[in-house]
This record gives sequence, structure tokens and C-alpha cells, in this order.
Amino acid sequence: MSEPLLDVRQLEVVYHDVATAVQGVSIEVAPGTIVAMIGTNGAGKTTTLRAVSGFLPAEDVAVTDGTISFGGQSLRGMLPHQISRLGAVLVPEREKLFQTLTVGENMDFSLTRSRRSIRDTVYDYFPRLAERRKQVAGYLSGGEKQMLAIGMALVCEPKLLLVDELSLGLAPIVTNEIMTILQAINRDIGLAMLIVEQNAAAALRVASFGYVLENGRVVFKGEAEKLLTHQDMKEFYLGDRGHGGYRNIRQYRRKRRWWG
Amino acid sequence: MTTKSPYLFVSYAETNRVLAEPYQRVVITTIAAAILCMPLVAGGYFLHLMNLCFIAVIGAVGINLLTGYCGQLSLGQASFLAIGAFTTAILSRRFGMPFFVAIPVSCCAGAAVGFVVGLPALRFRGIYLAITTLAMHYAIIYVLTNYQAIVGPSASAGITVPAPSLGGFTLDTERGWFYALLIVAALVVMFALNLTRTYIGRAWVAIRDRDIAAETSGINVPRYKLLAFAISAALAALAGSLGAYFTTVVTVEEYTLELAIVYLAMIIVGGMGSVTGSVLGAVFITLLPFAVARLFEALPWQLGTTAFGIQEAAIGVAIVGFLLFEPDGLIEIYRRIAVYFERWPFRYRELKAGGG
Amino acid sequence: MSILAVGSTYALLAAGIVIIYKASRVVNFAHGELAIVGAYVFHSAGFLTGATLSGLSLLVTIAISAIGSVLFGVLIYFSLMRRLLGRPTFVAAMVTIGLAIILKAGIVVIWQSRSAGIAIGRQPLFSFTGGGRIAWIDLVSILACVAAFAALAVFFQYTRLGRQFRGAAENPLLAAQRQVNINLILALAWALAVFSATVAGVLFGSRSMLSPQGTIVGMSGLTAALVGGLDSLRGAAIGGFLVAAATYLTARLISPTLAETVPFLILLAVMSWRPWGLFGTVEELNRV
Repeated sequence: MSEPLLDVRQLEVVYHDVATAVQGVSIEVAPGTIVAMIGTNGAGKTTTLRAVSGFLPAEDVAVTDGTISFGGQSLRGMLPHQISRLGAVLVPEREKLFQTLTVGENMDFSLTRSRRSIRDTVYDYFPRLAERRKQVAGYLSGGEKQMLAIGMALVCEPKLLLVDELSLGLAPIVTNEIMTILQAINRDIGLAMLIVEQNAAAALRVASFGYVLENGRVVFKGEAEKLLTHQDMKEFYLGDRGHGGYRNIRQYRRKRRWWG
Repeated sequence: MTTKSPYLFVSYAETNRVLAEPYQRVVITTIAAAILCMPLVAGGYFLHLMNLCFIAVIGAVGINLLTGYCGQLSLGQASFLAIGAFTTAILSRRFGMPFFVAIPVSCCAGAAVGFVVGLPALRFRGIYLAITTLAMHYAIIYVLTNYQAIVGPSASAGITVPAPSLGGFTLDTERGWFYALLIVAALVVMFALNLTRTYIGRAWVAIRDRDIAAETSGINVPRYKLLAFAISAALAALAGSLGAYFTTVVTVEEYTLELAIVYLAMIIVGGMGSVTGSVLGAVFITLLPFAVARLFEALPWQLGTTAFGIQEAAIGVAIVGFLLFEPDGLIEIYRRIAVYFERWPFRYRELKAGGG
Repeated sequence: MSILAVGSTYALLAAGIVIIYKASRVVNFAHGELAIVGAYVFHSAGFLTGATLSGLSLLVTIAISAIGSVLFGVLIYFSLMRRLLGRPTFVAAMVTIGLAIILKAGIVVIWQSRSAGIAIGRQPLFSFTGGGRIAWIDLVSILACVAAFAALAVFFQYTRLGRQFRGAAENPLLAAQRQVNINLILALAWALAVFSATVAGVLFGSRSMLSPQGTIVGMSGLTAALVGGLDSLRGAAIGGFLVAAATYLTARLISPTLAETVPFLILLAVMSWRPWGLFGTVEELNRV
């Protein structure tokens, strides 16, 4: 088993000295794979991602324990632009692009001479962006904004792309379109990705490995197929209770066991 | 150490109590006794400083209601003070009105002007709001400057105001002023404390934190913003009016933008959004130049005019220092200490409102 | 003619305010004070290099002032403004108000509120028959203004660093994540702003006597920036000339004392009628 590209061990993140958002989370991303982090709101997925990318807001949030190692280097305490230059690039959940700049200016934001070909490749993957180069980014539709955000991140030559809840506010068909493109990018250039999603089905379709977070802890992990077929996953995250019709609904919810 | 949790209330009366902890009652009683005894032991100079503090407290509470509670950043404080002072001067000098008519009328004048200033400010937030109030400040000062040039004996001599008198009793001693201003300041502070505990106060805080959400919750945002402007300006006019009587001369030159910033400094240093903070900040900023001057007297070498410059700089340093290192002001320092003792041996305390 | 010269001074001041606003959404209330301090430094540097300001001593004075202003801008950023990243922008604006107080008091302390003048370029270039004069310094003012604005416009619109400037202004955390060193951008903004303030201050000092009260010229600069739109360089240029023209015409046609209040009257009018300025973006209003 080769060295994981991203190796997070026993991460602990605390808000305001009081509220522990992430308690002892350990995540690994192998090179060239897509890994999904699934969970409901408040599970700690976004916090983990932000801790990795240095994107935590300035006041009162601290990584109090654990190690974050990227390609052998520790990321704890590094500034966002240093982490980004190392190759761990985040597509945030909110505020993910520059609304007052045009699409072209957004895409060219981190452009250097050597990255021009990468930028053109990204336009090939997202033809809708190429059409709207002169448009001010704030006026794009939700799906186009998400594409632009991902495209911008790709121009930074990432070794690991961290995507935070890309399906938020998007129609399912648009989500699928973007997920498919991400899968294609992963296949074509072998870019590793860590995708955080509430839409477990969409994420597990493209991911090869997945982690399930609840209340700041990893409660389950495994290959994507294992997650897709696990009873607890099906009942609580994939919406398939196996009840065969509303007539058969039980009045209570059974407790999650996470066995097998 | 208390045996009951401060979060646990068993009756409505308990939630409404102003002084919840027994030690707070002890502290307040001690301070009150000390203040009441001051004129018996202190000299005229010290009492004079205290009187200046009382007037500053009234103005600081006013601007804290507007900027600290309602979140409307206003640079027009000096013009409201000027309105109060000039109205008092006109009424008592030209119309011979006694102080118990002049002062309330000045407050109403202040409220009216505050209302007018608040009208264009309804459209804006943040910096643009501050600049709008700045523009109104200059407009008001311009009008008053012209008035002073016409009415005063010379363009910059100002208007003299007779000392307030009732029957045969005239208020012209530092000790007399001390008690009078103490009563007024105490009333103003209690008024403000009560106001912040009512629906009005909560509406203001809601507007400060998220005015769009406040509006959708059913709060009539324009009405409460204007109310904040009016009340704040009325209090500032009260301070200006009392100041006019206290210094017996009113000149428009003393109501500069710097004065408005000094009042802002008071609430920054004391703590925005806290009436107690206004009091602390007002006292701190009022006494600061004198403390700096005393400091320089103690130094071996002569500084001359540079001492004046450093006094001025001291206020700027206070503003910058507190904003950088203690943005919640002196009251936060006090709270930290109080909470340390209250919650010991636990470390955690209730989260700041609006944090996170 | 003097409208053009005074206007270029105001335009340069407005440009400095706009640069900082474009980079960090902070309104710099200390800009007038920075300009006057820069002018005093120029004046004192002139004394150091020999009492006459011409030839080599002039160049040395210019060099000292230029380098000093850039360094001072960087210093202001790293010591003060850097710590305010992530806080609401009006907090930073209040810090600049505090800075303005400190600088003004600093002028009193260091230069003892002595009035001073900068006697350069006062020789007339050519005279009109009506008694009007154009001095060298007026021409220099206008040329400096034009050059500065052209350079800034090109920088912001067409260079990568300029794009990163604008992005960092809107969303500093995202820009940081996109490999932009925010500290570099903002320090550059402050360096540029203090430098342009110094230039404006020197031009101002060549026409009027310098004194701590002269810092009020910052109000005209702020008005010009607001008239044009706080995030628009084009607006800063036009706003500067508009304010200068309005002040001059009021002084000539109505009354000189009213002319002093013209910037504030314009401020009132702008805030009432079109607060985002002639060329500013309307969304700016709600973002602040």
C-alpha cells in the first residue's frame, strides 16, 4: 500500500474553547483516488476540510490535536497560501469565487506562463465557462458558479483537490454533470480528490473510498461499493429503507449499529 | 462562589433583576458611598474633573445607544452637543428662560435634529452611514457658525450663559455642580439601562446584528433607527446643555469633528453595547489628558508644546490600542475578571452574543 | 489653470484612498494627515540636503521622501492594519481615525506646529495677458496626476497582480487559498497610497503653507473619492477635478468663506443623491 497523499490522524478542532467540532478524525487519501466524506449537517466534515486547507476563520477556532500530513509535510500552522502552493487546493462551500471579476479573470487569477495549457484544458472540461468568459461571475447560475469555482481551483495545479459540498443548491442533474466531469478529470490526469458531501449517493457514485462522519467522529469507512450496500448506510444516508412502500413504514427508527 | 447556576432562573422576577450576584450589590453600594462622600474630602480641581466626567457620561451613554446598541456608526455627536448648547444659550440669554425650561427644550431640539439627521442615514450602513452623518455634522456646524458670527459680540467670542438659578439658589460651586450632575448622570444611566432591557433595546440589538433579519421578524427598522438617533441626540443635547451652563460660555469652535471622535473613543475604550462600558470609557477618556499632563510634570525634562501634542496623541493611541487588542473595551476586562471568580473552578463561560 | 493644478492634487489624494479601498474595503480617514506628514518630511529632507531645492539636492530630497513614504506605508500595514484582517471593515476605518489623531499630534510634536512652505517650481512658465500665470509646479502637478492614473489603470485592469488586488479586496480568504500572498498585496496597497499621499502633499505644500490644520485637505480628497465612487480610479480623477472646480468657482463667484465648506456640501449632495458615486459599483453600498 503506497504512502497516502493526505494523512490526517486524530484531528481535533475546537470552536471558542468550548465546542469540539471534530474529535479524533483520521482520514487518508491515496494518490490518484477520489475519497468521499459523508455526513449530515454539523458532522464536522467542512471543519475537517477547512482545517486541512488552513481556511479556518481567524478568531477562536483552533486545531488542538492531531497531525495533518500532506505528501510527508505537516500542514498544521501553515498559512492558506502556503498550503495552496504545496498542492492542497480547496473549493469552499460558500464564497467560492470572485463575484465582481469576470469568468475569464477568475480563471486567470492564479495564472502563470506554465499554467496556460492547464487553463485551456479546464475550459475544455467546462465548455459552458468558455462561452461566458466576459461575463461577471456574480451573475452566473448556481451550476456555472460551481464549475467556475472548481475550474479556478484546477488552474492552481493542485495535487489534491478538496471540494466542499458542491451539490448545495444545485439541481440533481447539474450535480451529476459536475460529478461526472470530476470523475473524468480524475481518470484522465490522476488528480486525487477529497469530496465532502451531504448527497451521499452522488458522492459515492464517483468515489472509490468513503468515510462517514457523525458528531465529529468517523463512524464508518470503506470501499464505495461496501458503503453503497451497507444496511445502515442505505437506511440512514441513501434513503432506501427497504420498506417497499409507505404502508410498511415502522413507527420507530432503529439504532445504527455500523456492523459488517 | 455562588451555589446556584447563573443560568437557572426559577421566577420571572429573577430574570429581571439588574444585580444578580450578591457581590455586585456590595460593589455598587461601595462605589455609590465613595462617590457621595467625594465632595467632602476632595478639592475643587478634583471635583471639577468629576463634573466633566459626569457630563461626558451623559453624552457617551447617548452615543453608545446609537452606535453600540443600534449599530449606527455616527460621527455627528459634536453637532448634537452643539445644538443642545446653543439652544440653551439662546433660550437663557435672549429669552431669559430658567434652566428647567431651557434644558428640556434643548433636549427636544436635540431629538428633532437627531431625527432629521437619521432620515438620510436610513439608507446606509457602515462607512457610508458615518460619512452621511459627517456631512450633516458640517452642515449643522456651518449654520451655527454663521449664527454665532451674527449674534455674538464678535465672530469667535461666543455666547455667554448665565448660571442656572432657582429661586435664590444659584448653581455655581463645584460641589453644587457635583451633586446636580451626579443626580442627572445617575438618572440617565438608569434610563439607559432600563431602555436596553425593553423591547426597544432588543430591537436595536437585532438591527445591529442583522437588520434584514430584524425587518423580517416584524421590527419596524426605520422607526427604531430614527428612535435611536432621536434619543441619542437628545442625550447629547442634554450633555451639551449642561456643559453650556457649566462652562458659562458657548462657542461653536469647540464642537469639532475631533470631539465626535473623542466620544466614539469613549465607547470604544469602554465597550460598545454596554451602558456600564460607556461610564467607564467616559471617565477614562476624560481623565486621560489630565493623567498624561500629570505624568509629564513628573518627568525631569521640560516639554512645552510637545506635551500638548502627546496629550492629543494619547486619545489616538487609546483608540488604536483598544481596537487592536481589546475590542470589547474595558467592560470586557471587568467581565473576564468577574467571570473568573464566578465560574471558578470551571473555565468555560457563556459565549459572547453574536460570536461564532 | 489653478483648477487643474488643485484638481490634480485632490485627484491624487482620492487615488490613494481608492487604492486602499480597492484592496481591502477600508476607508482610510488618515489620508490627509499622511499627505501633510509626507510634505513635512519632504520639507525637512530639503533642509538636510541644502537649503535650496534644485538639481542634485532636489533629487536626493525626492528620493528620501519617496523611499520613506513607501516604507512608512508598509510599516503602517504590518503594525496596524494587518491585525484587523477578518474583522469588519468599519473597525479598520476607526483605527485609521485613531491613526489620523496620532499623526496630527505627531506633526505638532515633531515640527512644533511651525508653518512651512515648499518653495519649488514657483517660477512662472508663461503668463497670460489677463494676469494669469502657469508655474512649473502646476505643470508638474498635472503631469504627475496623469502619469499616476494611467499607470494605476493599466495595473489594475491588465496585470495579474492588479487582478489579484481586486480579488483580494472582495474575498481575502479565497485569494489566499488561490496562492496569493494577501500581506504582500495589502502592504503594496498601503505603500502606494502613502507614496501618492506624499506626492499630493508636496504639491499641496508648494501652493499653500503647511501646518497641522492643513490636514483638512484630506476631507477634499475623501469627498473627491466618494464623488467618483470609492472603488473607481476613473472616478477619483474626475472627482478630484470636480471638487477643485466647485471650490474655485464658489470662491470666485460667491464667497471665499463658503468655499471652505464646499467639499462638505458636495459630500452631503453626493450622499443624498448618488452615494455610490459617479463610477462606483452599486453593490458596494451593501457590502460595506
